[in-house]
This record gives sequence, C-alpha cells and structure tokens, in this order.
Amino acid sequence: MTTTAARPTATTIFRRPKATTGFWSWITTVDHKRIGIMYGYTAFVFFIIGGIEALLIRIQLAQPNMEFITAAEYNALFTTHAVTMIFLFVMPVSAAFVNYLLPLMIGARDVAFPRMNALSYWIFLFGGIFIYSAILFSDVTAPAGIQGVPGNLDPSDQTFLGGIPSGGWFLYQPNAGPVFSPGRAIDFAVIGIQILGVASLIASVNFIVTIFNMRAKGMRLLRMPVMVWMTLVVQFLLLFSLPIIAIALFMVMFDRQFGTLFFDATAGGDPILWQHLFWLFGHPEVYVLILPAMGIVSEILPVFSKKPLFGYPAVVFAGAGIGFLGFGVWAHHMFASGITQVAQAAFGLATMTIAIPTGIKIFNWIGTMWGGKIRFTTPMLFAIGFVAMFVIGGLSGVTHAVVPSDWQQTDTYWIVAHFHYVLFGGAVFGIFAGLYYWFPKLTGRVMNEKLGKVHFWVMFIGFNLTFAPMHWLGLQGMVRRTWQYPEGLNLGPWNLASTIGAFVIALSVVIFMVNWARSRRHGEPSGLDPWDARTIEWTIPNPTPEYNFARPPVVRSLDDFWHRKYTTDEEGRAVRRPEADELIARLDEEGRNPTEPIHLPSPSYFPIIAAAGLPLIGYGIIFHTSTVGKLLIAFGAIVTIAALLGWGMEPLEEEHGELSLETAEAH
Amino acid sequence: MASDTSHAAHPTPLLYVKIALLLAVLTGIEVALFYLEETVGALAVPLLIILAFLKFVIVIGYYMHLRYEKPLLSRFFSAGFVLAILVYAVVLGTFGVLAIRAAT
Amino acid sequence: MTDVAQTAPADTHGEHESTGIEIRKLGMWVFLSSEFLFFGALITNYLLFASRPGLARPYPAEIYDIPFTSVSSFVLLMSSLTMVLAHHAIERGDQAGTRTWLLATAMLGSLFIGGQVFEFTDFVLEYGMKLTTSPAASAFFVLTGFHGLHVLVGVLMLFSLYGMSRRMGGLSPKHHLNVELVGLYWHFVDIIWIVIFTVVYLISKAPV
Repeated sequence: MTTTAARPTATTIFRRPKATTGFWSWITTVDHKRIGIMYGYTAFVFFIIGGIEALLIRIQLAQPNMEFITAAEYNALFTTHAVTMIFLFVMPVSAAFVNYLLPLMIGARDVAFPRMNALSYWIFLFGGIFIYSAILFSDVTAPAGIQGVPGNLDPSDQTFLGGIPSGGWFLYQPNAGPVFSPGRAIDFAVIGIQILGVASLIASVNFIVTIFNMRAKGMRLLRMPVMVWMTLVVQFLLLFSLPIIAIALFMVMFDRQFGTLFFDATAGGDPILWQHLFWLFGHPEVYVLILPAMGIVSEILPVFSKKPLFGYPAVVFAGAGIGFLGFGVWAHHMFASGITQVAQAAFGLATMTIAIPTGIKIFNWIGTMWGGKIRFTTPMLFAIGFVAMFVIGGLSGVTHAVVPSDWQQTDTYWIVAHFHYVLFGGAVFGIFAGLYYWFPKLTGRVMNEKLGKVHFWVMFIGFNLTFAPMHWLGLQGMVRRTWQYPEGLNLGPWNLASTIGAFVIALSVVIFMVNWARSRRHGEPSGLDPWDARTIEWTIPNPTPEYNFARPPVVRSLDDFWHRKYTTDEEGRAVRRPEADELIARLDEEGRNPTEPIHLPSPSYFPIIAAAGLPLIGYGIIFHTSTVGKLLIAFGAIVTIAALLGWGMEPLEEEHGELSLETAEAH
Repeated sequence: MASDTSHAAHPTPLLYVKIALLLAVLTGIEVALFYLEETVGALAVPLLIILAFLKFVIVIGYYMHLRYEKPLLSRFFSAGFVLAILVYAVVLGTFGVLAIRAAT
Repeated sequence: MTDVAQTAPADTHGEHESTGIEIRKLGMWVFLSSEFLFFGALITNYLLFASRPGLARPYPAEIYDIPFTSVSSFVLLMSSLTMVLAHHAIERGDQAGTRTWLLATAMLGSLFIGGQVFEFTDFVLEYGMKLTTSPAASAFFVLTGFHGLHVLVGVLMLFSLYGMSRRMGGLSPKHHLNVELVGLYWHFVDIIWIVIFTVVYLISKAPV
C-alpha cells in the first residue's frame, strides 16, 4: 500500500489488483496460462451441454416415428448442438491450447496484450451465457402469414426448449428472418454469435502480434513448432473472416429488429446474399476448427515416433495453403442454391484443390511414423486415430466437390457423417490427444495411461458406431434436420446403432473426466520431460512456473530441446547424448530458481468489466422497443466505454513492474 | 527501438500541407468528373476509380507513414485489401452486378 | 557444445520485438487490415442493391446531394491533415501544438458526423427514404451509419487523448504512441470514406 502512495500520478481507482490466489485472482488474472485453463474448463462445460443435446437428438432418432421430443424441440436441439460445439467448444478449446502453449512454445513470458487476452475470455464466457439465456426469455410466436401450411410448426409444439434458437447454426434467410422465425429465440443466437466473434477477433490480433513479435532469441519463423504455425494460419483466417460474419449478422439483426429489408425477397432483398456472406465466413471457420488439431497432432507424432516431423516446411506451407484456399471455396456449400454453372464449375474445381495440401499433410504424418520407434501412449493413440478418421472425413469431403454428386448428397446424412468425421474424428480426437500430452504442463503429473487407453478405445468404437452408419443412411436418402423418419424405409437398424454409439461416446467422456479428476491429484509425477519431447515448452519445470522461463531461452534449431538431448550416429540414427539426463536435471533446477527479478504484467479489473457491457447491449437490442431495453443499451455502452477508459488510464506495466519489485523487497 | 529510427525520416509539416492540397484537388477533379460524366463517357468510371485509388494510396503512404515503415506492415495491410477486393468481386460477379456495370 | 543456452551467439532478433515493430502498432495495423473485409461486405451489400431494378423509390443515388457530400468529404480529408500535424507536434514534444491539432481533428470529425446527421434527416424528411424503404436504402444507411460510428469512436478517442493531455499537463513520451495509433485509426476511417465517396456517391447509379 505504501508503494502505491509513492507513485505520483496513479489514483486509487486505477490501482491494479494484487491478489495472487483465490477467486479475485482468477477474475483479474492476465496470465496466459490461467486464461487458457479458464477457456479449457468453460469449453468443456459447453462440450457436456452440447453432448447432452446430441444424446437427446439421438434418442429421438433411435427408431422410426419416435415421439420422445417434439419437432420444435428437435429443431432447437440440433441448432444449439451445432452452435455449442462449434462456437462454444471447439473454438474456445483451441483458444485454450493456444493461450497456454503459444508463449511457452515461442519462449515468451506472456502474449503481446495480456489484458486483451483476458478481455477475449470474458467476452467469450458472457457470449456463451448470453446464447443460453434465451431459454429464460421464451416467447413462442407462430410464424406470420403461414398458419395452417402443412409442415408448419404449431406453437403448441413448443415446450420448455421453445426459447432456444432453432434456425440451424447457419441461420439461413429468410427461414431465420422476422417472418418465418418470429419471437426472440433467434435473436439470442444472432447477437450471441456476434459477441463471440468480438472475442475471437481480439484474440486473433493478439496472437498474430504475439507470434510475430514475442519470439525468443533465435526462434526464426521456420523454427517455430508446427502448432504455432497452424495457430498463425488460424488467426489470419479469423482475422479476415470474422468481419464478414459480423456484417452478415448485423444485417440479420437489422432485419429482425429495425425493419430493414436485406433478405426479404418480397421487397427485392436477396436471401442468397446471406448464404454468400455466411459461407465466406463459414468455410474458413471449418479450417479454424481443424487446423489447431492438425498442429497438435504434428507435435505429438514426431515425439512418439522418435523421428523429426517428415517434411516440416511442406507441412507448414500446406497449412498456409489450406488457409489461403479456404477463402476461395465458400460457394461449394451453395451448389443446390441456384448459383450459375460457371460458378459451380469454378468452386467445384477450387474445392478439389484443397485435397492437395491436405493430402501432403497426411502423407507427411504417415512419413513421420514410417520406420519410427513408435510408442503407443494415449496421446499417440489419439493422434493416430485423428489421422485415420480425418482421412475418411477428408475423402467423403472431396465427393462434395463433384457438383452432381453434391446435389444428391445435399441435406442428407452423408453430409452429417462427413463433417463429424472431420470435426469429431478430426478436431476432437486431436484435442484429446493434446489434453493427454500437455496435461503434465498443467499439473506436474501424467494422466493414467490405462484409463487413457480405455478412453481411447471406447471413444474410437463409439465414434465409428455413431457416425459410420450415417454414411449409408445418407446414401439411402435419409434427410437431415428432420425429427422423424417413416417406417418401412429400413432406416431403423442403422439409426439404432448410431444411437447406441452416441451413448458409448458419452461413456468414454465419463471415463476421461474420471481420469482427469484422479490424475490431477494422484497421477504419477511427470518430472520435466515425461515424453522425451522435442520442443522448448518442455525445457521448463512442470507445472509451469508463473514466469514461464526463469531465463529467456535461446533457440538454435528446429526441435531445439531434442538436439540438446540427442545427436546422430554415422547412419543417421538418433543417439542420446550421455549428458542428457544431467541437462534435464539442471533445467529443472534452473527453471525453478530465477536469478533476477521477473516483471510480469499486473492483473486488472477492467477486462471483465469491459466485457460485461456487451451482453447488456445485446439484451438492450433484443428488448429495444421497451424503455428498459433502451436503458440497457445506454448502460451497457457506458460500462464498456468507461472500462476501456479506465483501462487506458491504468498505470503502465513498466511502472508496475518496478512496483512489484518494491513490494517484493518490502515483504 | 527500431521504430524511433524510422520516425527520423518523416516528412515535414509543409509536405503534409502540400499533400492535403493535392488530395483536395483530386477530390475536386472527382466531383467535376461526376458532373461531366455525359461528356467524358465510358472513361468516367475508370477515371473515378483511379483517382480514388490515388487518394487512398497517398493517405496510406504519407499520413499513415506506411512508406516509412517496415515492409511487413504493408504486407499485412495489402493482404486484407486484396483479399477483400477478390472475394467481394466474386460475390458481386455471381450476382451479375459487375457484368451489368461493364455492359452499360 | 551441450551448454548452448548461455553461450549461443546472438544470431537473431531481440527479445520483445522480433520484427522490430512496436507491438501495439503492429496490432493496430493487423486490426485495420481486417477492417477492409468489414467495410467491403457493407459496400458489396450496397452495390448489390443500389442498381437493382424494381425496388421501392427513392433509390439513394436519386437523392444524393453531391455538393454537400463533397464538402463533408473535404472536411474529413482536412481532419487527416490536422491529425498528422498532431502526431508531428507530439514527436517534437510540442504539447500545446499537439493539443490544438487534436482538438481541431476532433472538431472536424464532429462536423463530419453533424453533416451525416443532417444528410440522414434530409433523406428521411424531405425525400421519404427511410431505413425500411427498400433494401437499397437499408444498405445505404447501414453502410454510412457504420462508417459514422467509426468516426464517432475516433472522435471519442481524440477527446480522451485531449483530456489526458490537459489533465496530466501534457502527454508523456509513453503516450506518444497513443497519438500515433489513434492517428492510424483516423486515417483509416478517412481512406474508407474516400472509397465510399467515390463508389457509393459518385459511381453508383439508380436504375432508370
């Protein structure tokens, strides 16, 4: 306290918080590791919610003509399942990995903008809660002007889930517009996704600057781990695609709230414009979901094959190529929407070219394992599972590039099978591989291998049991997004298999949770280098010290840590240096004992306050016709602006660094 | 800090004022072209686009100092610009909007 | 050669600015590059509807007041000049000059917003072109409205810089960068207007 008074300009309001443990330390933290952990746990909660939604969907589809849930509830469930898994699970869990690992992998003490990093997390959390808060404001209204149309949903169908958004995650217009989806449910999705987009945009600027500017000495761009490269590609994809969806969502919001006519065909508006803007964002978004998992797998395969990644530059450039091409293929989602034949041919061709960089990656992963000394640990199993399942999902994906074939597949379960093979068999397997692999960095312990392997095999079997039958169901013509299918089409048996598979997956997730909870307390201590790893995040003690690196690392090559432990003999085989064990012991010792005081960015109250303003504005817009709504907009704007002003006025970090030194001496 | 050395090369206020005058003149020509579109004919639209692009580049280069910065910044910036032009041209192209413009 | 960490030759970059560009400046440029996609979508939206036949009249291009908009474009262009002069002044440590030019920029920006408010009111009251008239009108208002919102954010930042400068008796060297960053944002909003002025006001035509 005395030191605060000694500073001339700072007033008490702008004093930065000091708690280092307990509740307030988490609220005000700007530590990238803690933010990463919060991202991870929050995302996992949403994973459970999205998973329960999936189970409800699967129960409804287990047999022909089931009446487990109503059609309206089914619509709500498949919509929120998608929104949750995409925006509230896979994206944030990737953000969790990036947050935690990126600075460690490039040898930095934190990200470029620690407070903005905290801001991203809080906006994400509030945005997620905002979407689900729709359930509290349920107001079921029948679509205007189309009562009595066959297939039209009766408002009495709507029950407790009626307030949840139900237009599909793609929010196609005019179905999700004011005429066909009256009521407020969709507004929560529209504005909620907008809020989540703000979080991701801030994070993307932050991570791009971090990667370009915060690298340790010697960490040239082509010495960065593939995980970092994939992160960079993903952040550019987000940077350039989020503004597009922001505009598209604003347009829907204006249509729904303020009576603009963008997507109203009766007034000359254009629903196809929505599809263009949505998929201009939506297709890069697909790579946003899968590339981090590719990065994770590219880290894990070399470690457990005891070989360097085969063709590192090829993997890096293929990743960048996927990102670049990702902006040129959006219209393959619209082959059935009536775009011109020239456009169909061009986008079909462009889509096929995506297979080239993707194929390069797959061959490089196989080449990495080829002839290696493979250790089948849990992370490795998940990584291999990723490669195998992703190949299946990738191949079924190429079939969509063939326009006539795509017309047949559009809106069938073939599509559902395809994207679950890439997003679950791909992204989710990659995420679990990463969780097992980097668990020691969080806790200083390794996860139980036996339970881990059980988890893998149960999940692998459950996954294939669930989604492989959807291929045949799709080819038989079973239609997506329909709550019932009639008897006599012989669709029942495979659907039942699929439903059983979904519960097997659920069981595997329970096994994982048990393993996680037990290993946190009772797992075997990991030491510094449990996997005989290659990259510099393993040159510091586990769990990671608050300051990351006790002394700034210097990087001399790709896979720097490996080359410090291993050399090669005349035949090119890896030979462990005799002094490797001593090196590890010394790194562990040094990493725990910084020789000089380390300046860390100070915690701050302002990120969470600034973030809190956004959902308030969101509620205000939804209820803008009432006085309360108008007041909420004003209040939310004031909260955010005031917090940002306070943010700007907070004592600068340099000053605060000196301050923490003084307090450290005073103690 | 490297950014300090780059500041040394910045132009003088006089140059800034000259540039502002140039921008004003270019805007004047644009408005004139708008009123003379009948006389100038098909050239008017390309000329207007060229003039706007000229103003655009001048403001970025001098007022935003991009000329004096490291090339990395120009690369980032032009990446966003070029990507936006490309994807939106394709979108408008699929609606036939650009084709109509060219025809008239 | 095992003990490389301490003795490695300094073969590359410094610790915190691997690229030699200040992090906040790099961040601002990265952010601005994404804004092209943001305004690009709005302009695309406008171009799609501006000449589409059969929409409810009036079309925006039928009622533009080009002399008026030319003047407000000129105002925004000149605000870029005052902004760059503010930046120049702070680099020379000229606190009074910085304050003057910051205030001038904020005033010119406010004048531009005032012009836009007048324009919107005029369109609605005189010509009956409202947000809900036609998709073309909706696109016009949303595009120019979002640009105006960007100007407003810029004006707020300028006023807060001005306020900080007064309150602290001048901006410290640490705040020099803030002036530069606000300047970058301000000029960017200006170049977007250069595009809007030409493409939306001068080139786009209502269908006959």
